[in-house]
Amino acid sequence: MVAYLVRRVLQMILVVFISAIASFALLSLAPGGPLAGLRQTPATSRFYISAEDIARIRTKYDLDLTIPVRFTRWLIGVPRGPLVINGKEYFGDLVVGCRQPIEEEFLNDRGKYETRVTGCSEIVYLRDLTGRSASRGILLGDFGVSWRLLRDRPVSDLIVSRLPKTLQLIGLETLFSILIGVPLGIYSAVKQYSKFDYFFTSLAFMGSAMPTFFFGILMILAFSILPRNAGLPYLPPGLSESVRDYTIPLLGTITAGSASDRVLHLILPVSVLTLVNVAFWSRYIRSSMLEVLRQDYVRTARAKGLRENVVIMKHALRNGLIPFVTIVVFTLPGLFSGAIITESIFSWPGMGRLYLLALGDSDYPVAMAVFFIIAVLTVIATLLRDILYTVVDPRIRLK
Amino acid sequence: MKQNRFMLVLGLLVVASMVLAACQPGPVATPEVIIETVEREAYTTPHPILSDVRVRQAMAYCTNKLELVQSVYPLAPEAQQQELVLNTMMRGGHWAYAGDENITIYPFDPAAGAALLDEAGWTLAEGATVRSNADGETLNIKFTTTTAAFRQTWAAVWEQQMEACGIDILRLHVPASWWFGDTTGLARRDFELGAFAWVGQVDPGGVTLYSCDQIPSPANGWEGQNYMGWCNEAASTAVKNANNTLILQERIDNYKILQAEFTKDVPSIPLFNRTETFAAVAGLTGFEPISGQEYYLYDVGKWELPGQDTIVLGFTQEPASLFGLVEDAFVAQLALYMVLPGAITTKNYDFQAVYIQDFATIENGGSVLNEVEVKAGDTVVDANGDVVTLEAGMSVKNFAGEIVEFTGDPIKMQQLVSTFKYIDGITWEDGVPLSSADFALSQKIACDPESGATSFYVCDRTAGVVFLTDAVGYTHSWLPGYTDPLYFTPIWGTYPAHRVLADGRVLADVPAVEWATLPEISEQPIGWGPYKLVEWVKGEKLVYEANPYWVFGAPKTPNFVIQIITAESAEALLLGGEVDVLASETLAGLSQTLADAEAAGTIKTWSIAGGTWEHIDISLFIR
Amino acid sequence: MSANMKVAELTGEEITIQERTPFQIVMMRFRKHRLAMAALVVITLIFMLTLFAPYLANFEVTEISVGDYFLPFGAVDEDTGRVHYLGTDNIGRDYFSRLIFAGRVSLTVALISVLISETTGVIIGAISGYYGGALDNVLMRFVEFMLTIPSLPLLLIISSMLLANEDLIPIPAIVLNTFGKIMLLNPRDTRSAVLIIMVLAGFGWLGSAQLMRGMVLQIKQQTFVEAARSLGASNTWIIFKHMIPNAMAPIIVSASLGLAGYVVAEAALAFLGFGIQDPVPTWGNMLSATQTFMMDKPWLPLVPGLPIFICSLSFNYIGDGLRDALDPRLKM
Repeated sequence: MVAYLVRRVLQMILVVFISAIASFALLSLAPGGPLAGLRQTPATSRFYISAEDIARIRTKYDLDLTIPVRFTRWLIGVPRGPLVINGKEYFGDLVVGCRQPIEEEFLNDRGKYETRVTGCSEIVYLRDLTGRSASRGILLGDFGVSWRLLRDRPVSDLIVSRLPKTLQLIGLETLFSILIGVPLGIYSAVKQYSKFDYFFTSLAFMGSAMPTFFFGILMILAFSILPRNAGLPYLPPGLSESVRDYTIPLLGTITAGSASDRVLHLILPVSVLTLVNVAFWSRYIRSSMLEVLRQDYVRTARAKGLRENVVIMKHALRNGLIPFVTIVVFTLPGLFSGAIITESIFSWPGMGRLYLLALGDSDYPVAMAVFFIIAVLTVIATLLRDILYTVVDPRIRLK
Repeated sequence: MKQNRFMLVLGLLVVASMVLAACQPGPVATPEVIIETVEREAYTTPHPILSDVRVRQAMAYCTNKLELVQSVYPLAPEAQQQELVLNTMMRGGHWAYAGDENITIYPFDPAAGAALLDEAGWTLAEGATVRSNADGETLNIKFTTTTAAFRQTWAAVWEQQMEACGIDILRLHVPASWWFGDTTGLARRDFELGAFAWVGQVDPGGVTLYSCDQIPSPANGWEGQNYMGWCNEAASTAVKNANNTLILQERIDNYKILQAEFTKDVPSIPLFNRTETFAAVAGLTGFEPISGQEYYLYDVGKWELPGQDTIVLGFTQEPASLFGLVEDAFVAQLALYMVLPGAITTKNYDFQAVYIQDFATIENGGSVLNEVEVKAGDTVVDANGDVVTLEAGMSVKNFAGEIVEFTGDPIKMQQLVSTFKYIDGITWEDGVPLSSADFALSQKIACDPESGATSFYVCDRTAGVVFLTDAVGYTHSWLPGYTDPLYFTPIWGTYPAHRVLADGRVLADVPAVEWATLPEISEQPIGWGPYKLVEWVKGEKLVYEANPYWVFGAPKTPNFVIQIITAESAEALLLGGEVDVLASETLAGLSQTLADAEAAGTIKTWSIAGGTWEHIDISLFIR
Repeated sequence: MSANMKVAELTGEEITIQERTPFQIVMMRFRKHRLAMAALVVITLIFMLTLFAPYLANFEVTEISVGDYFLPFGAVDEDTGRVHYLGTDNIGRDYFSRLIFAGRVSLTVALISVLISETTGVIIGAISGYYGGALDNVLMRFVEFMLTIPSLPLLLIISSMLLANEDLIPIPAIVLNTFGKIMLLNPRDTRSAVLIIMVLAGFGWLGSAQLMRGMVLQIKQQTFVEAARSLGASNTWIIFKHMIPNAMAPIIVSASLGLAGYVVAEAALAFLGFGIQDPVPTWGNMLSATQTFMMDKPWLPLVPGLPIFICSLSFNYIGDGLRDALDPRLKM
């Protein structure tokens, strides 16, 4: 077991490392970046972007360096300059990038022109990195600076500001959907083809069939705008808390920022997410319970005259929970990544929106930090799942 | 058994329909545009189709601009829709507009378009829907624009208009990060037809858009914004001259030439101005968006909402930083305007002096054109507008305003010197009066390459700045030969030089390299405007409260909040009472929802013609 | 068969229980699930509508009736007398014609994605779980690695690469032509649909592979597998004859939810701006293009929203019915 764990943890580190390389390469190829739109800023008699300005800004964000160098600077914060041993510099002449590439046009074999870099008019050497600001490296908890969303300031500031709200939203949603979905699934399985089963199956299906944004807007209309206009009690249409006190019929005045204000703002988004996800849980539970309920040992238990409750709770549930376990641990990365669409619909200041903004605005250090954390959480969830397998089903052995 | 048969029938039907579907005539395969490969460089080989001016003019004739306006602003009154249509790069009422008689206007006239296409060799064969030429090539052109819903709408209509003329448009909606990326899309002229908007400016400018030396290419490091690759010597000279003089009539005349050439050559089809839509909860007073305004917050101190001590403004984009040198997004400018407004503002496309005593015009003596003698080795601005170290053979503008060649002998040139004096009584929100040292700090930081500023254009053209001791302000001397059409407007901003930071240092002593990350600058700036920033809850809101030291007395509403919302929820939040004001950077246009709410009396809306204009750039060279 | 009937009096036919093929058994069981049957009928109808789109649509997909914005259901085009069954959208395009053509694209994308992802997932999951050891380790770590790769930026990057150079990601002409024919698109427009399929399927198989592996791990311990092995059955035989059929039920559920999910996912991608773009109509981009009219002209988003909802719902039901029908342990 210990040997297994050690091996798995080592593999995990490898997976995260490879995934970090892949994501970093992916985002390095992505269009946009800190300069997106800059060339389209109309020049005035006081503002003009020259090629030199572009080169300077590229240097500021390390974009003049080659991808491997950028990657190690991002990951562990090196190289920061030439190697210095006993006051003597080594590798100072190592080429690490190009500040001003020379580009030329070539006709490719498909008859189209393409721009190729044919040389470099201003090479960046390792010694030029001395004194250039760099993060301490993501492994040491420094996620670097944001390119656009929080220009030049730490990415961690952004994540810290969004994470609590997402934990609130997704935490509650996961809790509710499991609390509702699991019993529903078990009950549906036990009473297969009953009216109850049909009804909840349908309800669950409807939840998952509705596109979230469509459903969300519908909910805002039904529970916020229309009742408010009609003078009925209503729910806030979005945001995580109000700026001003407001009065809701029957509930009275709600103080902005108070606990009740926050709870009221949570109701709609949590409900939407829960309704959508209950289906997911109940389906899995129902399906695996049905499987188990038909196993011979369950029949044996029944034949022994055990009460149905005991049969289900003691004998069936444990095996029925195996697929559940495989899925439930994967809520862990979800807790961090948030819900992109729901957060957009309800103006919820969470991680999902941050992620979407980071991609839309090509703020790749932010996106990269999010990926990295999600990657780590995903592999942890996988390990956790495999360990939990052995707990719920002792027949499965980890070797 | 019955059910079995039913299943059989069902199955047969599915199979039958699949067979039928497979046998259907497939969609007409779009033949690829075959580009002849010639041994010439990219960007200098004329586009096989679009380099023909007749094709471009035909496209202009086939474009029904009013219909495009109607598709995106269906609720705008007819008169306003008409007003939004553009014939050239200036709107009709602009002071630089050449006048209908001096430009070529392309009214919607498909017949004229068809005739031009026939003449260009693109004819419509019997029964065909797409034109083809003698070589059998069909008239397919790629059209690239962003994925914004607004552009998807009018682009679909435009595609149809072109189709009616026999032009097959291959429409591509691409991510904005690609289209506006640094090394992709527009910046690399990677398009045949491309649509985007230029943000309206008070001054028409245009040098980087229309002059010959502003065509981005590998050779010049992709500098410039002339993405069409349009080089018309007359137009190029005219636009340079228009921006290299202080005499209004000279500017008007030069812009006239530019517009005449522009509409004759059609390197770009101007379409329409966007509207700026504002919506506010009913009862809000003091909020009066007007045409040609730089910031709709210009009168924020007068905004008032009966029964409320807080006004909530919704932003769909959060400011990235309040350090104006590194972040110039409109939302950041607005958020900063609350605490640190510009000395001037614009209304009705006209400048208004707010915090300065007067504009530094030549007429009122605020600016003077000094006669200076320059010799070889001096730094001056040459006739082309570039900063040069003077040597023989260069062409410069002499004191008389003529362009002459510098022979090596000292020569007399113009030097523009302007003095800006601020009004008395401006006081920082901590009670310290504004001083000239604050301007000095601003100039020092803006010209420090370590500060992260994007452009040093002004710094490079500055000969010297003297900070006044008898008044709050400064005297700015430009390099000899530099003429700025907007010379009478202030140049430098203010930073609180006296401010003591959390770590005990004084702001004036902090090196420029630290400024972008300094919370006191990027997140908690202090100012002398109507409000002071109390708190910035990231991702949620910026909370302001009235600045008791504001030079014009206390603002009417004690609290102000900028709430960060999403575009998807903006209207719901306004109708739900969570925000009070939504402005043009949020609202793409007047929606039925808003119109209905206005009819019901819960909100008020404004729709004014804005300065941002949509257009289709035509790439004249192949890529 | 009355109780006093003597066995000797029965003919051979009567005492032999009618032999049913497995398919018949499955069909019989499936028909017991009434909602699933109803869903099958609904889905078939929708399929037929989209299959016959070129015959049913009385307008072209890109055809714009100038000025005829937001026409109500059943409005008649004045010039040609054709009927806008579902009215027109915000720029005067016939909504019904667009809807059925869009359905063709949306459904094809979902079906093909599910087909690819489930097949891949099942095979890889089964192999991984059955053989275990190093192979399992490598495959599962690869799945984990893939799970950590963000899909949205991948889409963004692939599509921008395609923009810069269409030939960069070679899609065989035969694939483009076949898919183009199915979706009634020209090869150029098919590219973006194939791209979405690639991304949806490329990330979709991970879940089913993990699920399959979990099931196989469980089944592997059971006695009938050991029995088969002791009888000398080959590994391939055991995987295909014992493992996959026995683990099929949850896979069917995941495929049905997947099919439903892909229809919705296509819409969600369109909403986020990463989906198939406008000249190609899909239910997703029709919905996201009209969601701004949600408050005042709710039918505009409802019309494309409803088929997404119905299809997704139906796939769920069908999956549910199939799950019961395919379960080898379920006795009739």
